[in-house]
Amino acid sequence: MTVSEVLIQGPDPEIDPEPRTGEVAGRSPMRIAMDRLLSDKVAMICAGIVLLFVLIAIFAPLLCKLFGVELRAGDPVTDTDSFNYPVIGPPNYGFTWEAPLGLEPNSGNDLLAEWFYGARTSLLVATIATVVSTVVGVVLGLIAGYSRGWGDRVITFMIDLFLTLPFLLVAIAISPMLVERWRENPTMLDNASLIALIVILSIFGWMGLARLIRGEVISLREREFIEAAHVLGMPTHRILFKELLPNLVAPIVVSFSLSLPATIAAEATLAYLGVGVTGRPSWGQTILRAQSWFDEYPLYLYAPIVGIVVLVFALNLLGDAIRDAFDPKSFR
Amino acid sequence: MVAYIIRRVIVGLLMLVAMSFIVFALFMKNPVDPAQFSCGKNCPPERIEETRQALGYDQPLLVQWGAFAKGVVVGREYPADEAMREANPELVTECAAPCLGYSQQLQMTVNDEIAEAAPVSISIALVAVTIWVVFGVLFGVLAAVFKGTLVDRGVVGATLSLYAFPTFFVGALLINFVAIKWGIFPAPGYVTIAEGGVGEWLLQLMLPGFTLAAVYMAGYVRMTRAFVLESMSEDYIRTAKSKGLKGGKVLFKHALRAALTPLVTMFGLDVAAVLGGAIITEDVFNYYGLGKLAVTANETYDLPTIVGLVLLLGALVIIANIVVDVLYAFIDPRVRVA
Repeated sequence: MTVSEVLIQGPDPEIDPEPRTGEVAGRSPMRIAMDRLLSDKVAMICAGIVLLFVLIAIFAPLLCKLFGVELRAGDPVTDTDSFNYPVIGPPNYGFTWEAPLGLEPNSGNDLLAEWFYGARTSLLVATIATVVSTVVGVVLGLIAGYSRGWGDRVITFMIDLFLTLPFLLVAIAISPMLVERWRENPTMLDNASLIALIVILSIFGWMGLARLIRGEVISLREREFIEAAHVLGMPTHRILFKELLPNLVAPIVVSFSLSLPATIAAEATLAYLGVGVTGRPSWGQTILRAQSWFDEYPLYLYAPIVGIVVLVFALNLLGDAIRDAFDPKSFR
Repeated sequence: MVAYIIRRVIVGLLMLVAMSFIVFALFMKNPVDPAQFSCGKNCPPERIEETRQALGYDQPLLVQWGAFAKGVVVGREYPADEAMREANPELVTECAAPCLGYSQQLQMTVNDEIAEAAPVSISIALVAVTIWVVFGVLFGVLAAVFKGTLVDRGVVGATLSLYAFPTFFVGALLINFVAIKWGIFPAPGYVTIAEGGVGEWLLQLMLPGFTLAAVYMAGYVRMTRAFVLESMSEDYIRTAKSKGLKGGKVLFKHALRAALTPLVTMFGLDVAAVLGGAIITEDVFNYYGLGKLAVTANETYDLPTIVGLVLLLGALVIIANIVVDVLYAFIDPRVRVA
């Protein structure tokens, strides 16, 4: 049969007894990326590690009960000797199940509980800060990219301006201000330091994504589907959020998964410099206290360090894998 | 071309003005009294008042900023208050342009403090920058050329783990093991070229330089690897190879050139950030550079020093941005048209 005959009459049963019917399975870009990610072994291991940390953070109280340890329940009188060394566990005595990571010198607090809750603080602060800076970055990037002229220029100027401010210097300068302000009121200080930390991390985190989104929007806005939406009379905010945003999912996801470890590292650094959250256990603060005990009691320092290093490393590798999964040019 | 440069410089100046104003507003108009913050931790109220007058904090924000701007351009005198200057002529200090402030606690201009601390920071920065650029690009190229093999994964993994370790831990490890326990390097203590000669100076800078470079190296390895890989798959590389050019020449003359522009951008900004004082590294090694100056000023409640340092660092970044953009125009001809 000729092609036109097949098209008009249908396939010839002698040549092709079982014509293929049924839906053509197409995959959306998200689906393709997910499939590639799921088949990447290294990425799956990293995702597992990250999930483990998230579960530890969420179930910290439960885990503490499981191991029989309590947070901040140390009593310097009973738990430390006259030289401030702990009376059970390292460094002077062997491993004990009563305090698997040992007790903290000077205060007698259990270090395993500090570790569990420290994971919670790190992940909480980092996640909130990254979410906030992602949202701000996306919104400003969309506006900057879509509006030509003044909107774009003002936002670009703001981006460059914030990029010139030195992060660490400004961050360490803010902290004493807070301490002075709420010197009389410790609970307010705890909350204030948490909020201030999140605010500082967010303020210095949105610029990269805003620039990226702006670039993508600039190249997308000339495309026909945006012109069509515009001509059809779609209001601008709908164009931004219903037409442009779905196309930007890839850079947003990649940026989120790469800023999360950077924020965790930044939070630890700030805690080391004394700008951490007060009142809550945090890995950075444990590290700060553990430094002077390094020679005699290395586990004190190593536990939070390992926590930070493994989490940051896994998140970075995962972020890289996500980026490769979304990139049509890379193939595995 | 010239128009582009002029435009860039003007925008840069505007940015300097905006940034200095924001920094002023941030530090002078916050819930804590700036005078108390400049006076020190345990300051009696009369000293606080004196500080407020001497540093001009009782004046409105715009006047303060105006005086500061004047100081940057032509220099100014401290105490900031006219009446105080008349009453105590022996206390008057001349602050030459560009004046970044005056520290009431240390009784010296911030410029002098910076002049003392800068050589240390610059030295560390020089060593660190050399290490991370040379090794970062080298390893990145290696990883790209041997993509997918153990070399590639090993290099990327090693630099990533170096990045994942907090800087203070890397520094502490280096001090404890490399310097003290194994004795490969001497115990860290900064030595100027005048005192110990170039050899000694360099030796003392190796450990802090490496600590600082560790953080940046991962980024450069990744970037170089990504850009070299990207440009290797471009058509003009295929043309070069089919022309018969040998692999090495193709790599360095063509592929690396394309990777240069984004690397230069990153490099410019990183150098500016690092020059401003590697806070953690200097703290761990106890070298008295700009970073240590900032930390000490923060602990002793010396606001003018902090403000001066923030402004200096911001200015360095803006200048670096301008330089990088101008260089960009030379490297990439497409930019000039924009």
